[in-house]
Amino acid sequence: MIKTILIAALFALGSVTTFAQTSQEKGLAIAVEADKRGEGFGDSQVELKMVLVDSKGTESPRDMRVKSLEGLGEEGDKSLMIFDTPIDQKGVAMLTYTHKEKSDDQWLYLPALKRVKKISSKNKSGPFVGSEFAFEDISSQEVEKYTYNYLRDETFDGKDCFVVERFPTDKYSGYTKQVAWIDKAEYRALKIDFYDRKKSLLKTLENKDYKLYLDKFWRPALSVMQNHQTGKSTRLEYKGYEFKVGLNDKEFTKNSLKRAK
Amino acid sequence: MKRFSILSLLALMSPLSQAELSVTSQLDYEATGYFADSKASANDTRLNQSLAFRTELYKELEGDQSMTFKPFFRLDENDDERTHFDVRELIWHKVADEYELKAGIGKVFWGVTESQHLVDIINQTDAVESLDGEEKLGQPMVQLLLERDWGNLDLFILPYHRERTFVGKEGRLGAGQEYADGMYESSDEEKHVDIAARFYTYIDEFEYAVSVFHGTSREAVLGVDLSQGIQPEQAMVLPYYSLITQLGLEMQYLNEGWAWKFEGVLRDGVPKNTMLTMAGEFPVFYDGASLAVADDDQYFASTAGFEYTQVGILDTRIDLGWVVEHLYDSRQEDASSTAFEHDVLLATRWAANDAASSTLLAGVLVDYEYGDYSLSVEGDTRVLNNMTLSVEARVFAPQEDNPLWGFRNEDFIKLTLSYYL
Repeated sequence: MIKTILIAALFALGSVTTFAQTSQEKGLAIAVEADKRGEGFGDSQVELKMVLVDSKGTESPRDMRVKSLEGLGEEGDKSLMIFDTPIDQKGVAMLTYTHKEKSDDQWLYLPALKRVKKISSKNKSGPFVGSEFAFEDISSQEVEKYTYNYLRDETFDGKDCFVVERFPTDKYSGYTKQVAWIDKAEYRALKIDFYDRKKSLLKTLENKDYKLYLDKFWRPALSVMQNHQTGKSTRLEYKGYEFKVGLNDKEFTKNSLKRAK
Repeated sequence: MKRFSILSLLALMSPLSQAELSVTSQLDYEATGYFADSKASANDTRLNQSLAFRTELYKELEGDQSMTFKPFFRLDENDDERTHFDVRELIWHKVADEYELKAGIGKVFWGVTESQHLVDIINQTDAVESLDGEEKLGQPMVQLLLERDWGNLDLFILPYHRERTFVGKEGRLGAGQEYADGMYESSDEEKHVDIAARFYTYIDEFEYAVSVFHGTSREAVLGVDLSQGIQPEQAMVLPYYSLITQLGLEMQYLNEGWAWKFEGVLRDGVPKNTMLTMAGEFPVFYDGASLAVADDDQYFASTAGFEYTQVGILDTRIDLGWVVEHLYDSRQEDASSTAFEHDVLLATRWAANDAASSTLLAGVLVDYEYGDYSLSVEGDTRVLNNMTLSVEARVFAPQEDNPLWGFRNEDFIKLTLSYYL
């Protein structure tokens, strides 16, 4: 079913000029194209500094490394996140298997107890390590996780953008809706507004300083999530992106969590 | 010999490869306040202070190998038994395509439940460290890990048995008891080679593990040796370690906010406690002379329950969890003093999801047949980037005929400040 929709959507995208398209079809087509442009990265790793900023401006930094493995065919991406600081959390690691249609699988490793704990998929709306990012914000954004609706064209930050609404399909999502600004030239998400369960604006994510890797893959060097309701924000600073470093499935197993260093 | 091998391993960890040596250390200051004078301990201090230092040295070596060294030292103001040094880990680890191999002193955790850890048997409990049994002594081992499409299989050879640590005469939670060196069923004593295996896998939201252990029990049957005309008042507690076979089962099923958990063990070869109550004071003992014959009883013990988590209660960032577990032991009144025969844990877990990673776990453990209960509160927060504060408080309310009667005046609150460097 999904496949047919995708094929239809791709077909529609290729023939924007000839067929009249509903706004839903156009929204999906944009998401599919953005996803397609990200395909083929294979694997990557990056150092990440996450800075929690409270409403008074006090900063709490934490350092982590993220390894990702692209899913092939029907599989979603896998990712492994390893904490270096805060120092009491050193060695804590989180493994995520993203799934296209069912809920993601997620495990947390607590080195002090040598214990691997499965995280409930209901937890996806909860804050990730005290930050303004929810678990669902940091997991891989598969096309199938939302339904779409194209709203309008708009210029953002000097770039021509599509403005697309997307609605989470997972009932445990903390959002009723997200609105994304995607630039027409490279299909990068420059800004996303998040609406909470009461449909009011909760947060805004801005992805900045996009850099091009391997002539194909755009990644932001800085992401800022601003919570409008609390005044708190979280900054993600990415450093030292590497692609096709030769990571494989073995490095993304429940067992591998225990040796993640 | 032991010292030599530690040194040579440390030498191995120095500049062989490009990878740097990673060092993390932690210094704990702990202060425990007791609300009453002790009725049992030789020491009736109301405040006990302690320092602990632990460090972790980790080095990656060429060819997907690594070395980890984790020494631990605690200095206790009053309890000489709690002042102790242990090598928590000193282990070589090799990751190959088809297997992983570890050799040295290591630590392994098995289990899913919160209230007790029945299945977890590889490492000995460092019982002087905490009441929850979660602190473990380093275990000499060779571990082979096979990770396949059909699941994971871990195989262990455990060539040396560590005796459980016990709170000393001067420790408040020791009830004034002194412990003799352990007695073994195996003629090889602590050098009996134990073996263990565990298979674990998952199907969607259902995770399970099956394990088997054969060797010297980690849990001792506690007795006194009255065979040589020693008066009960002068007798030391004699831990007896029998050879056992344990089959273990762990299951966990996650559904919506529910985590359903089960742990069960079938143990064969644990001697029955021949009850001999000592004047209503602390635990119950049996006559050590009868040890060798009172063998080979089978029993079953389990922990079963759930944890239900509400994410972001009342539109806050706080997660609230409810933990309910039932603890069962088929030996019932013949069970060892540390066993939970018919108990229920009711607990609530709070996670503030704040920048300080604050958490709180408060619970009550009720023995619904004896009618006694204990309350516990455990909390953690980060006070500085490199400093955390944790709080543990316990209240014991045992009935007079219960093994935990000796704890009736030992209610305490413990603060631990951990500095990371």
